[in-house]
Formats: sequence, C-alpha cells, structure tokens
Amino acid sequence: MKEISIHFTVNGKKVSLNVPSRKRLLDVLREDLGLTGTKEGCDVGECGACTVVMNGRAVHSCLVLAAQADGAEILTVEGLAQNGELYPLQKNFLEYGAVQCGFCIPGMLMSSYALIQENPHPGEEEIKEAIAGNLCRCTGYKQIIQAVEATVKR
Amino acid sequence: MKASPKEFRVDAAEKLSGATSYIRDEQIPGLWYGTTVRSPHPRARIREIHLDPHFDWNTVTIVTAQDIPNNYVAMLENDMPFLAEKVVNYVGEPVALIAAPTRAEAEEAKKHLRVDYEPLPAILDMLEAEKSSIKLFGENNLFKEIVIEKGNLETAREKAAAVVELEARTGYQEHLYLEPQGMIAIPEKDRVILKGSLQCPYYVKNALTTMFAGLKHITVIQAPTGGAFGGKEDFPSLLAGHAALLAVKSGHPIAMFYDREEDVQVTTKRHPSYHHDVAYVDQEGCLLGLDLHLWLDGGAYCTLSQVVLARAALTATGSYYVPNVRIHAKAVATNTVPSGAFRGFGGPQAVFAMEMLMEKIAQRLGLPPHEVRRKNLIKEGQDTATEQVLKYSVSARETFEDVLQESDYEQKYRQYQEWNKPILEKLRKGEYPKSNRHDRLRGIGLAAFLHGAGFTGTGENKIQGKIRVELTAEGKPLIFSAQTEMGQGEQTAFRKILSDALYIDRDDVLLAEVNTDKVPDSGPTVASRTTMVVGSLLVDAAEEIIQQLSYRLKEEQGVQFDYRRGYFYGGEQILSFREVAQKYAGLTVEKQYHHPPIIKFDDIRWKGDAYPVFSWAAAVAEVEVDPVTFEIRVVRYFTTHEIGKAINYNQAVAQIEGGSLQGIGYALYEKIKLQNGKFDISGFTDYIIPATTETPEFQVKILENPYPFGPFGAKGLGELPFVGAAPAVLSALWMIFGKEFNHLPVLPEDLLQLFSKQKNTEG
Repeated sequence: MKEISIHFTVNGKKVSLNVPSRKRLLDVLREDLGLTGTKEGCDVGECGACTVVMNGRAVHSCLVLAAQADGAEILTVEGLAQNGELYPLQKNFLEYGAVQCGFCIPGMLMSSYALIQENPHPGEEEIKEAIAGNLCRCTGYKQIIQAVEATVKR
Repeated sequence: MKASPKEFRVDAAEKLSGATSYIRDEQIPGLWYGTTVRSPHPRARIREIHLDPHFDWNTVTIVTAQDIPNNYVAMLENDMPFLAEKVVNYVGEPVALIAAPTRAEAEEAKKHLRVDYEPLPAILDMLEAEKSSIKLFGENNLFKEIVIEKGNLETAREKAAAVVELEARTGYQEHLYLEPQGMIAIPEKDRVILKGSLQCPYYVKNALTTMFAGLKHITVIQAPTGGAFGGKEDFPSLLAGHAALLAVKSGHPIAMFYDREEDVQVTTKRHPSYHHDVAYVDQEGCLLGLDLHLWLDGGAYCTLSQVVLARAALTATGSYYVPNVRIHAKAVATNTVPSGAFRGFGGPQAVFAMEMLMEKIAQRLGLPPHEVRRKNLIKEGQDTATEQVLKYSVSARETFEDVLQESDYEQKYRQYQEWNKPILEKLRKGEYPKSNRHDRLRGIGLAAFLHGAGFTGTGENKIQGKIRVELTAEGKPLIFSAQTEMGQGEQTAFRKILSDALYIDRDDVLLAEVNTDKVPDSGPTVASRTTMVVGSLLVDAAEEIIQQLSYRLKEEQGVQFDYRRGYFYGGEQILSFREVAQKYAGLTVEKQYHHPPIIKFDDIRWKGDAYPVFSWAAAVAEVEVDPVTFEIRVVRYFTTHEIGKAINYNQAVAQIEGGSLQGIGYALYEKIKLQNGKFDISGFTDYIIPATTETPEFQVKILENPYPFGPFGAKGLGELPFVGAAPAVLSALWMIFGKEFNHLPVLPEDLLQLFSKQKNTEG
C-alpha cells in the first residue's frame, strides 16, 4: 500500500508520520501513537466508541482516513486531564456515577466535550442529541446526561 | 444525584482517563492474529478441507480438528467441538483456524482455504425438533426436559369460573456489549497464558485443561471487560480454545479479536422461547391452577441450556401464589447458533409469558390488570411451585403497591383511556390523525417480577466457592477471588463490603488481579451471586481476621483486646486496625461457601428451595404510540426493587436503569430473524439498541428487607431489572389497544398489522 506523510497535532503535541494511505485515523492513534484510550466498537461509525475531537468537532475516527487528518488539531481522551488532574467533565462523570464498563466512556466524553465547545450552555435535549450517536449498553444514560449538565452549569 | 466521594466507583477514574487497558489495548511483542473459517450451512457433512497449492502456507499456521487432543468444550454436556470434524451444525460453526503475523495476511490465507461440504437437511424450528428424524442431541433432540408439579390441576379445573389460554413467543436477543469478544493466548514451554475479556476465568481454565488433556498448565487472566451481560460467560471458553490452539502450534502469542459483525453473527444469544399456558381462575381472578408449557431453543449445542431451562421453569409462575401447578419445560436442539447465558437466564421469557397471561385473565374477566395481579401476589409463608416456603425477605406486594403509588398508576390508567378514545375512534374509521404530539396514544402498563438469587438448586453447594484475604506489609487486607468486574461494580462492592465489615477506609482494601494462578475458585461471576454469595464470605473473613488479630494481641501482650469501629482496645492501649494488621502482616484467612443448612433442594423431584432467596420488583411503563407511524416510545419508567440491602445505593440505581433499558430494547427494538439458518444482522445498523433518544425518564426506588445470610442483608441485583421491563411495556400496549400482545419484540409494523386486522374485522 502507498505510504503518505502526514502532520497533525494530537493533544497539543505535533506529530509527523508516514502511514499507509488507506489507514484509518483510529488505527494511527491506537497503533502508531499508542493512544489506546480511543476504542473501536463497530468499525462503521454506528456506536461512537471511537469518537475524537478534530478541529473542534466530534468525529468517528473509524470513518476518518489518516490523510484527512493532515494539518488537523486532534483531541483524544488522553488529552483531557491536565497535569494528572481530571478535566471537569471527567470529574463529573466520576461523581455522578456515569461509568460502568467504561468502553463507551472515551467517546461519550469527546462528544460531550465538542458539544460544550460549540454550545457552552446546552439544555437536556441538546445534550441527549449530541450523544445520541454514542451507544452505551450498561447505563440508562441518565448519569451521563447529569454529568454533562453539571459541567455546563459551572 | 451526586454521590459522596466514598461511593465513587473504584475503577472509574482510570476508565475516564483512557488508561484502562482492555484486551485490544495490550502491547504484546510478536503478536499474531487469528481468524476463523466457518460453516456457511446450517447442517452439512465436511467432505474435505482443501488448501490452494499455489499459496505459500509456510507463512501462516492452520489448525483443524485433527490438531486437538480433546475436541470438546468442557461445559455441561461436552457436546460442542472446538472445531467441527465431520459435520457442521450451524451457520458460523468453526471448522478451521488460521493465524498470521498480521490480520490482513490471515484474511488473505483464508481466501485460499476451501472446505467442501455436502449440505444436509436441518432443523430450524424449535417446535419440530423433538419429532424430527434428524438427530442432533440424544434420541429426541431434548437437551433437558423438566416437569414440576404441585397440588392437583383437576381440582383447579373443576372449580374454575374461567379457563384462560395463551400462546406466547420471545425472540433472540444479542448482548451487544460495547467491547466485542477478544482473547489473547501466550504460549510457553509447558503452559499457555490466556488473557481476555471474560466473566468466568475458571470456566476457561477447566475447558482448556481438558482440551489439552492436562498436558499444558493453563493460566487465565481477566482483562478489564467492556460489558458482558452473560455473553462472556460460556463463549470465551470456545474463543480461548481457538487462541490457545493457534498459539501452541505457531509458537506465537495469538490474538482472537472479533469485529462487530463476526461477534453478532456467531456468538451466543438469548434463548428464543415458545409458551403454551392455561390458567384456571375464579370469578375474581384468583389463580386456582396453572398448566404451563415452555420450550427454549438451545441451538446446535447444549452450552448452558439445561440450567437456563431450569431457571425458566422455576420462574414460570412469576411473583404469584398458585395452589395447583404443572410446569412442563423443554430445551431443544436446532441447527442454529448455540444459545447461551444472558442476563435473566430464562427468567425473562418465563415472566413475560406469565405477565401476558395475567393481562389476558384481566381482559377475559373485565377486571383491571393491577387488581388481578394484586390478588395473586405471593406472601411470606406461602409456597412456590417447588413447594419452597418463602420464609424471609419477601416483597412481591410491597414493591407492587409502592410502584403503583409512585407512578400514580390507577389515575393515569383511567385518564389515558379517556384520552385515547377519540384517537382510537379515528383510527378505526381509517381517519389517521396528523402526526402531532397531542394525537399520541398514551398507555400505562405494569409488571411484577422476581429473580432467584445465586445458582439454581444445589449449584452453590456443588461449586463451594472459595475466597482468601491476606494482610499486606502495609496492613491492608488484600482480597483474592475469581469474581470479575465487567461494569456491574464488583470491585467497588467488594471493597466496600470488606471495609465496612472491618470499619476501615475503602481505600485501604485491595483487590488481587484475577489470575487463576493466584486467586482461588470463588465460582463464576453469574447468576446475580457475586455480592450475595461471595460477598457474604468477605463478611465471614472480616470476622475471622478480627478474631485472629485479637487472639494474637492477647497472646503477645497478655490482656484481652476488643475490636470496636476500627480500633483494638486492650489494657491501656488503643491500636488502629492498620497498625495491628501491619504487625501481623501475612495473616491469611480462607472462607468457603455452603448454603445455610435450612436451604434444601431435591433436583431429581424438583422439590424444595430452588433458590436461597428471591429479589423482588415491580415496574410501571408509560408508553406513547404515534397513530400515524405507530412508533412506540417508553416515556416514563417507574420501578421499585427490593434487593435486601443496596451495598452501593447510587450504583444500584444506575444498574437498575441500565437493566431496565436493556429490557425496553428487548421489548421494542431488538429483533433478529433467521434466513436459512443465518442471523439477519451485522451490527448496530440493523440491530437497534436504545440510544439517549429512546431512553425514558427513570424513577427508581429501592426498598430494604434484609436477607439474613447476605452481606449486610444484601441479595442479588444484576439480572432482576431486566426481567420485568418487557412485560411492563407490553402491558401498556394491551391497555391502549385492548388487544392481545403475546410476542417479543413488538415493532411498529406489528401495530400496523394489528390495526389493519382490526379494521377488517370490525369495519
């Protein structure tokens, strides 16, 4: 497969890589950069587990080719906490008991993060809509929604 | 509601930072990837496995049935091979395995392997299995047949004012844990290490020790597990076998990572069921007798179908007292993917049929559905179908009355009936109103349900689960158990139980890695048994630790020491638990489980205490139906659970909501059909699970009614919330349409069909 050279920013750090042209952003993050916090749940953009923030928007990294990320600014779950301290959104997920098995959580966080960046004061319906593409099989979503609500009320 | 910091889950911070290493996140040097060659036929003879002579097979490893010392997955019946040898029995059955340094190379090699089959006739209908000339299991394709009898149905029949008959069906359900199945096998000289996403490390160890005929030492390590719901109870034994075979033959660590499509196509599902039930009732709707027949489709191999059937049969009378009962239950073999464990384990099918029978009795007698249920709810001192007298912690009535009150059921029932009248009238006339919010039909439904906590019958006494607690050099108790965290909160509950029993801080209790070389076999993490059964051993261990430490202090210092709330008091001294534990670091306490002797069960005659205790619940679902699109939505869901004592209240509420939502999915969205024996789903696109937009407003309440033998009175919780959700939702549809709903799931097209029928018959 043809290799291409790409440059982008991940969690504030600049990276340059040579990767096969058809490689997915998800695989570049997980395999080349060791950022395994981003999960793969379906491979077709249906479950939301692989959500990352690219240029301020939530995207399914399983549907983004690495080439499309060239020049982009990417934030993954690993980039949320600062100096070992959980980001407010993460803290609220902890405090409201929003986590069970945890596999959907990185995607949930990134979709919520992108929502708050775009709309700092979303209502309950907007929150539900923003994470409607992030599926969770353990919870009834209630604590997740509450955690996002608590974050935007600060 | 925000919890106090002491209630936060112990595993949450790591999961939130993305640091938790699930099996696909492991970095293992030299890791190869395995893939599976599968049958495209529901039943066929294998003629030949043909390798393309033009392909370089030196770069890959192939495993077939010939490579396997003992080619059966040790479970209840040992009937399922790791790889089919002569005959395949379901679409997707593994026939050969291939491993290569990369996934792409393994997939490429797979294209050059051809299996020649001779297709054979297959059994695809569970009701045809018993009489079929095709023999898949024993003489009559019955994995198990159970008959439970109490009293005399003849007396019920003679006295009955009405005889109500119901046929009911439930469909397949896929677990759809967010993390697909994944397993890694690492070969060493005389041992194989298995690490993966799994519920029951000792099931895997036992299956693989048997497979290798004892020639390999097997070490099983549980990786953090991204959801399971029963789907990682029996299946990982098969997957681990595949990984281990490839690892031993190739000499490389092997990853077997299913993608979503493979996972939903070939892994176990909830057993489909068929029910034919007859109720004998008096004028008031009191049950005089029940004659219940149920069938479960076990698929091609037995897996756990025998015990799933037992739980279904033992749950068949639901939360009700019935003086005369006959239950006849069969689990049958068909040429479909083996059915397996799934949250509720036969209970949801049984309760569904019973609750729909209640609806039908109410309809027949013209009584409100809650009144018929109320008259029959079981009480302390009454007995079940197996003549188990309920002696303690019985809350069928309390949960039921509570949820009726919390939801304002009776008033809404009347209100909604009035509200629906003009809309239904328009529908009957074929004047479909415009789809606007105010036109929606409103329904309210209810269900009473229960779950027997712990293993069925004599199971716990057979397994005799063991745990160990050691005091570390830092004076912290370290728990060794085989119980696994899969999202349900086991790690948090265990640390809380032991710390509360010792009056120490939760952060001062440690949990050992779940590794079969280190932890004793405390039994599998299934059957809502972890908190109640294994948790009770932690309380026993805490008591013994205190006794032993007090004794040692006395031996050393010559004065009596008492323990109160975290401190040892003796003579002039006050010593903290931590200080004393540090002093006697290395102290080890082991505990083994036996049922309290008053619990007795005869599993030949099906008499006695089928479960040590039951957890109880009731639910009310408020449903809206769009009269144009027939889209069905649960808008509010109330449930009251009695689980003895909630160990972690907020997490218990969260688990009840999650389980209820999974049950709502089972009722309204999750549908799988067979096409020539193949499931018609490939993943989230065509198998719909509830998202935020399908989630109702939840109102959950937990009542306490301690179980004397559970830790702090706790009983099982994990499965219970699922059990009653689907019948509560369907009860609301009975209420709206006054029609019989007897199958799961119900989709908009079912309502449409019902209406065109209604129009035809009434118009």
